[in-house]
Amino acid sequence: MNSSTGTSAGGGGGRGKSWPSTTSVSASGKRIQKEMSDLNLDPPSDCSAGPKGDNLYHWVATLIGTPYEDGIFFLDITFPSEYPFKPPEAAFGLVHGFEKGSGLQVVFRTRIYHCNVDSTGNVSLDILKDSWSPALTISKVLLAVKSMFTNPDTYNPVVPGIARLYLADRAKHDELAAEWTLRFAR
Amino acid sequence: MFRSNNVAARTFERQICTPSPGTSIQRARRFYENLVPSCTIYDVECPDHSFRKFTDDGQYLISFSRNHQDLIVYRPTWLSFSCKDEDCDTRDLPSKAKKFESFFTQLYCVQLASTSEFICKDFFIYIENNQFGLFATSTTQIHDAPAAGGAIQGIPYIEKITFHLLRLEDGVILDERVFHNDYVNLAHSMGVYLYDDLLAIVSLRYQTIHILQIRDSGNLVDVRAIGEFCSEDDELFLNSNPQVPVNHVGNGLQPNQSIPNSSFLSGIKQRLLSFIFRGIWAEETDQTLRIQCLKKKFYFHFQDYVDLIIWKVQFLDRHHLLIKFGSVDGGMSRNVDHHRAFFAVYNMETTKVVAFYQNSSEELYFLFEQFCDHFHATSKNSLSMNFISSHSNNIHALEQLRCNKNKSNIFPQFVKKMLASLPFSCQSQSPSPYFDQSLFRFDEKLISATDRHRQSTDHLIKFIARRQPYSLKFKIKPGPEAGSTDGRTKKISTFLFHPILPFALSVQQTLFLQPSVVNIHFRR
Repeated sequence: MNSSTGTSAGGGGGRGKSWPSTTSVSASGKRIQKEMSDLNLDPPSDCSAGPKGDNLYHWVATLIGTPYEDGIFFLDITFPSEYPFKPPEAAFGLVHGFEKGSGLQVVFRTRIYHCNVDSTGNVSLDILKDSWSPALTISKVLLAVKSMFTNPDTYNPVVPGIARLYLADRAKHDELAAEWTLRFAR
Repeated sequence: MFRSNNVAARTFERQICTPSPGTSIQRARRFYENLVPSCTIYDVECPDHSFRKFTDDGQYLISFSRNHQDLIVYRPTWLSFSCKDEDCDTRDLPSKAKKFESFFTQLYCVQLASTSEFICKDFFIYIENNQFGLFATSTTQIHDAPAAGGAIQGIPYIEKITFHLLRLEDGVILDERVFHNDYVNLAHSMGVYLYDDLLAIVSLRYQTIHILQIRDSGNLVDVRAIGEFCSEDDELFLNSNPQVPVNHVGNGLQPNQSIPNSSFLSGIKQRLLSFIFRGIWAEETDQTLRIQCLKKKFYFHFQDYVDLIIWKVQFLDRHHLLIKFGSVDGGMSRNVDHHRAFFAVYNMETTKVVAFYQNSSEELYFLFEQFCDHFHATSKNSLSMNFISSHSNNIHALEQLRCNKNKSNIFPQFVKKMLASLPFSCQSQSPSPYFDQSLFRFDEKLISATDRHRQSTDHLIKFIARRQPYSLKFKIKPGPEAGSTDGRTKKISTFLFHPILPFALSVQQTLFLQPSVVNIHFRR
């Protein structure tokens, strides 16, 4: 499987219909390929990720969460064709309208009670937007999402109610988060 | 030890010997070797109904009118007639006795379907404890239906499916459950399974397993719906803890739509995927190998797993469901050989997937071979169901299975073929002792305990004793006595065996809506 994705990525999308057909495909493909082998060599603990099928630009990641005890969280990661450089804003604007950033889309497929994840599962993380740098990698993003579990960014929440509860009554917040996990992430 | 097969000798033996512990029922059932439905009344004059089946306690014969609107229920009675002549035992039956009415008394006729609906004639489930019957009516099926509101693309829909719960004693409709714009596989009761008082109804279109309870009072009560959510109060919980997205909702229009076109996995899929994930995770301890393994076995197939749909469900016990997952096109077609399918065991109480197998899994096959009866989950207090022959309780059936296994050249194909029968359909087997393979041998291509229509041949169906002297005990011949004049028309036969009495109906139909030929087989 490793070799099959390798050849098709190098060939610039000969058979992958869903791939963006810009000239940068090959460059971004190579970069993603490299990140994949780095990730395989030195995977962060409690995280893993890999391409969905033979499409290098759509990945699935799994996080095993604390304090979301024993939860298994699945995330969709979509790479833009211009990865790792900032995309034209419009491309990302299709999703959110007014944000700019890496173009890297990270969406929870598992329901989670978290102040930085909106009700449809979109992750709102600083490094995916303004603080994005081409030097960041998918491993770093995974680590960031993982550390988001333990340290939510309560000052830039997408769900202010959860952030407020986190600051006001941490125990209650954790209890609710654990119940969400029990119901939706086991 | 030699035992006489003579009925008088057997009665005497019953009187003086105690059977080995736990075998008294088996011993009593041997009398069926002596009491067989060997007498046939051909082409009986009878009402033109489609006869569905005898209930498993033998109390009722269920039939539907030809226009599929009415339910007609009969009570089987034993033939009685008087005869003036002295040697009436050897004589032919008087013609007055050769009627349907001398074997059945009509209890009532109830209209179940309104004008635009039809009774699904393949669907009937009997709730033995309460003598309730579950029937289904539906409007016509619409193919190429656009998928809307969370429905699955590629599944047809039926505007209205109604399940009717009837008290069979007097035909009173106790309760109804309606499914709108949905699709439940009603053929051979495939989409519905009864265990004790619990009913599982599979909505193929909305990918939901509805668990209902049939109360003694005759009410159908919703217990839970498994699909989008797993626990009964998940949706309530979600709605009472709304996550308000700040960035794209400015119009205050959001509550009560917990499932907008979000990409969240459904509850059951999350459970399934996390079970598969955990399994692979635990397989490897080395972190680098583990991620390689996940990449190949899990992420690569992730979308395929997400695209699986629930196809069929059965109970294994009160808490566990055996769920078959497959592709959308595999779900609708009858030939499942080419489609990949998976089986999952799901615990409704803990909402966890307990086991997961592919349909080529040898492990599951060996479980099936050895513990087949555990898959035939029927109600606890249904005694007659304990005697349905299977390859795990009957040496002859096992021999047959081994023979088939050796005959098949490719073992993986054989496994797939065998596992295609899982999950079992509810109440699809006749408990008649004449299908007990420790008593009789018969050609399973022509007849078997499984409730199916079969293509009819002009051959006699022979039932041969399993014990010495292996003699022919009785014959069943569907269709007219003289055989059919036209050899070319395709004929379909159905056999309805009474669960207790030496009594059976054979119904032979030609495909051109002609009245069917009903034969009564009984012991004179």
